[in-house]
Amino acid sequence: MAVSDGRWDPVALEVIWNRLIAVADEAAVTLVRSAFSPIVRESNDFSCVLFDAQGRAVAENTLGIPSFNAVIARTMKHFLRAFPPETWKPGDVGITNDPWLGSGHLPDVTIVAPIYRDGRLVAWAGSVAHKSDIGGAVWSADTHELYEEGFRIPPMKLFEAGQPNEVLLELLQANVRLPEEVVGDVMAQVGAGEVAGQRLLEVLEDHGWATLDPLAEAIQDRAEAVMRAAIRSLPDGVYRDALETDGVDGEPIRLAVTITVRDDEMTVDYAGSSPQIRWGLNNTLTYTDAYTCYPIKCLLDPTTPRNEGSYRPIHVLAPTGSILNPTFPAPVHARQLVGHYLAAVIYGALAPVVPDRVIADSGSTPNLRCLISGQDREARKFTAIFFLNGGMGARADQDGLSCASFPSNTTAGSMEVIEAGAPVRVWRRELRPDSGGAGTFRGGLGQELEIELVTPSPATLSLFVDRIHHPARGLFGGLAGAPSAVLLNGRTEGFALKGRSLIRPGDRLVIRYPGGGGYGPPEQRARDAVRADLENERVSPEAARTVYRLEDA
Amino acid sequence: MSGEGFEAAVDVGGTFTDVALSRPDGHVAIHKVLTDARQPTRGIVRGLSELCDAAGVPPRSIARIIHGTTLVTNALIERKGAPTGMLTTAGFRDVVEIGNEVRYNTFDLGLKRPEPLSPRWARRPIRERTDADGRVVTPVVPEEIIAETRRLVARGIQAVAVCFFNSYANPDNEMAAVRAVQAAFPALGVSASSDVAPEIREYERFSTCVANAYVLPLAAHYLRELAESLAAAGFMCPVYLVLSDGGLAAVEVGLRHPVRLAESGPAAGVVMSADLARKRDWRRVLSFDMGGTTAKLAVVRDGLPTRTYQFEAARVHRFQKGSGLPLRIPTVDLVEIGAGGGSIAWKDAMGLLKVGPESAGADPGPACYGLGGDAPTVTDADLLLGYLDPDFFLGGRMRLDRQAAERAVGRLADALGLSPVATASGIHQVANNNMATAARIHVAEQGLDPRAHTLVAFGGAGPVHAYGVARLLRIPRVVYPRGAGVASAVGMLVAEPTAEWAQSRPVLFDRLTMAAVREIVADLRRQAEAFMRGLGVTAFRVTLAADMRYRGQGYEVTVSLPDDAVGGEDREPMRQAFLAAYARRFGRTLSNLPVEVLTWRLRATADRSARSLSLDAKGPADGRSALKGTRPVFFAEVGGFVPTPVYDRYRLEPQAVLPGPAVIEEDESTIVAGPDTALRCEADGTVILTFGAPDEAGRPWN
Repeated sequence: MAVSDGRWDPVALEVIWNRLIAVADEAAVTLVRSAFSPIVRESNDFSCVLFDAQGRAVAENTLGIPSFNAVIARTMKHFLRAFPPETWKPGDVGITNDPWLGSGHLPDVTIVAPIYRDGRLVAWAGSVAHKSDIGGAVWSADTHELYEEGFRIPPMKLFEAGQPNEVLLELLQANVRLPEEVVGDVMAQVGAGEVAGQRLLEVLEDHGWATLDPLAEAIQDRAEAVMRAAIRSLPDGVYRDALETDGVDGEPIRLAVTITVRDDEMTVDYAGSSPQIRWGLNNTLTYTDAYTCYPIKCLLDPTTPRNEGSYRPIHVLAPTGSILNPTFPAPVHARQLVGHYLAAVIYGALAPVVPDRVIADSGSTPNLRCLISGQDREARKFTAIFFLNGGMGARADQDGLSCASFPSNTTAGSMEVIEAGAPVRVWRRELRPDSGGAGTFRGGLGQELEIELVTPSPATLSLFVDRIHHPARGLFGGLAGAPSAVLLNGRTEGFALKGRSLIRPGDRLVIRYPGGGGYGPPEQRARDAVRADLENERVSPEAARTVYRLEDA
Repeated sequence: MSGEGFEAAVDVGGTFTDVALSRPDGHVAIHKVLTDARQPTRGIVRGLSELCDAAGVPPRSIARIIHGTTLVTNALIERKGAPTGMLTTAGFRDVVEIGNEVRYNTFDLGLKRPEPLSPRWARRPIRERTDADGRVVTPVVPEEIIAETRRLVARGIQAVAVCFFNSYANPDNEMAAVRAVQAAFPALGVSASSDVAPEIREYERFSTCVANAYVLPLAAHYLRELAESLAAAGFMCPVYLVLSDGGLAAVEVGLRHPVRLAESGPAAGVVMSADLARKRDWRRVLSFDMGGTTAKLAVVRDGLPTRTYQFEAARVHRFQKGSGLPLRIPTVDLVEIGAGGGSIAWKDAMGLLKVGPESAGADPGPACYGLGGDAPTVTDADLLLGYLDPDFFLGGRMRLDRQAAERAVGRLADALGLSPVATASGIHQVANNNMATAARIHVAEQGLDPRAHTLVAFGGAGPVHAYGVARLLRIPRVVYPRGAGVASAVGMLVAEPTAEWAQSRPVLFDRLTMAAVREIVADLRRQAEAFMRGLGVTAFRVTLAADMRYRGQGYEVTVSLPDDAVGGEDREPMRQAFLAAYARRFGRTLSNLPVEVLTWRLRATADRSARSLSLDAKGPADGRSALKGTRPVFFAEVGGFVPTPVYDRYRLEPQAVLPGPAVIEEDESTIVAGPDTALRCEADGTVILTFGAPDEAGRPWN
């Protein structure tokens, strides 16, 4: 395969890039299949990446969520700063979970491993994945410093020349609630790195190459050029939006954005957003960056494979000390409750420029999470996790998806599997009529979950719930989706919406997941579509009459 | 099921209906007729009658007819099944609509999900409940079932899926509901989820059951019509159906579980590869079937196709995992790639050369078909590279337009800034790489190494591309069975009656009582015996497997269990089998973590006499040389076109050895072999390629 005149021909680059993505995908499959963390497999909360010898990202696995967009490339650079290339040996593995270096909270552990060929460092394999536990006050935003959130690992060697760092592993196991699973998850990442390393060496051998280095530039340059062309197609200008979220303790959080488009570059500035807070909702700048770039890529260049070159023309700014760029040791554990909203302000700001491509706000922003843990009849520990989603915002040409995570991408598991493993009875999981914001195109529907605790002893309920007071906004005359609602035994009080509470045997919990915002005025919705919604009980007769103005309803 | 006498096989595809007839001596005659899209049974009867005529075999001498059909798949894709309703546990009517909630493409804001086969208004909530231990908490009230069904029937519903929460643990409530429906509405199609797929995970089980109900009336109509038309034409023998896992079943299975036919056609091709592997004692085979729209790859281990239970039908995007309807049925584990002869080559936003997944199909087809297509396809590139003879496509039945191919490829070449030849070669290479990459992942997911495999190539484009794919995968040997275009029909003739039953019963391994396991196994075995009795089979073997995992994981490993695994009280052999399977898949095992079992699987396979089939000789034995001539053929590894001898496959002498480069033509396909290979012709017409002298580094070209 030829590199003629230092340039890649379009066949060679296509072939090799695809092959490297396949290597990353294979590592990803290995990781997911052997992981214990339900968040890894149900939320795709991980990423596998190949780097060249200098630590520049070359290929990333296909599926995955935005948290890790191009983040690991930065983490890799921190590793190389802590341990320069010449200090690594074959069989070494590096590890860190520092939120300021990685994807923004302690459960996300980054693992990197150098790959050698004939004694020479030729590439790196890395992955970042969420752990089942990391110690500290898990599943709560009720933390006031990072130190309360668990075990922090600065960039360190997990393996040296194939020998595990037993001291680190022992400390880790002593500081987490599920030591076997957490070490199992760490080893799943190490295993994924080994697979990536073996496959990468096969690729190098097949093509007779010494390193990946010339490739990284070619790939990143091409991805960058596509993004630049997409930005250039937007009119130059300054675009703004702001919104409020529920926040904590009745104190809302404000997110403001100013997007400046100039020629082929875009600056996204969050000046005017709330200062950092003493609850675990702060977003480190890496996380802010990731959740800024993701919605922009969906909008402007959805097809180029995940690659950091795409983000070079996008500059992300947030004032130091703000909730989107807090100073250490700010608490960050539940940062997604804020970070997921960045997609909404970005689309809100760009709506006038690309009205046919943005979507209305999603009810599934941010992920609503519910976890019940305790002991069953035979005093065994159990954990039941509900990763269900509200509705997505409506599109310019079709309704929003019902029950779909955005901008995250969570898979919901089986309720039967939950019942088989935990003393919980699921009584209802059903679409929630009238929850999709009315519009020419309707917001996606949320759902209603009803569960009962059937153990003889009390259990802990952990919730991350937002959008009680701030439903998903509609666009261009579309109405807001229905807000969240949580009822414990019919009451909306007596438990924490962003933290842990005690529940008792026989308690019934109802969660109403919010709907997505609508797009365009509801009275302009096709009458047949309103009638179909009516027939299928997605919309009530009353809403059809009063909101959609359907005459024969 | 003697395996004696005359047997016929019919494979109905989108364009052609292939028929094959085996004689008692093992010789096979083949025939192809156009598929009658409106009434496929007409094409079947015509094909069978014509072949019987030509072979001088009276229809009544045929002992059995084996049938593979795309009826079910097409009905699901084209949404041509019956209006279907659902009776489902109150609180769970939206399970099939909510699905698993994931966005299968992370970056696509315009993403579409597959519409449920049963609309929301037709999904009726029923008051009933079974708990996870299988205890009926709330029994069904037959009057409520009947009242809800009556409402559905009044609105035109023709099939009903009974899908209750936790029914995998106890089917009683579902069965009571089915009885109530059948008693009140005998003409209605009814399926119960605990009957169709008694496995834990409500979305997958319900989805399978609804799909089954959806195609039930159609399958019943079709199978009845087929039996009648065959009888009218003098074929009085029983008909057997090819299931998605490559097994054979009596027509009754198609009447009760038609969803099991979803991968009927493609599975048969893999069965053919597996048969070849068994006879030659090849332990690792990669079955490679490349047609007009897709390429399909499957692993055959120790003579058996590997299976999966994760099939998806009717995807919104054909090659996008997660965009279809999940079906929990055993299927041959095929990986399908958007690389076929008709796959279109294009330039993407980054200026890279892409191939597929868009296909020109058969109409208008590749530019060189001259039917109005102007997009450059894989077939156009293959023509320009000298792999195909414009005057001998489909045995000369179709002339290819070389200039049209040049124009189409030339336009893309200009856009890419490459020469036309480099572009054609690029298209061929990108397609080969797409297939090789998919094969690598597929093989690696099973803990295997592609280099240890033999590639069996068929389908119209398979033999053209197999050499390049094998080079990329460093596969040392490629096998080309005769009749590349009718492999599925031939595969059906060697398929065995086999089927699989599953039962979920989640339990921690340490709490497993072997008596309870034996009870489940005995129940599964009873179903197997009834199935085999229906086929008239008395001698069959069963194998047992269990889906196991470490507690806390979300994916199971299907573990084949040794014969004596559940005979005694000792659980240790089962645990060891799990650890071995886990280590093979993930490279390590974990200590101190509890293991659990979710689902038991029993497979029954009939013992068939191993027959050797060989295709009839074709063409006159006039002693003329097999060498037809020489033409320039492009091989990138030697940097250009090389004068290459072209042979007539039907005239090759048995045991003939040909050095590469070489082209061997038969009616349905063309074998292309590079300079570093040798080809050997076997007595039964099979051609085997081996890599002789690879370049000094032993490196494949790219």
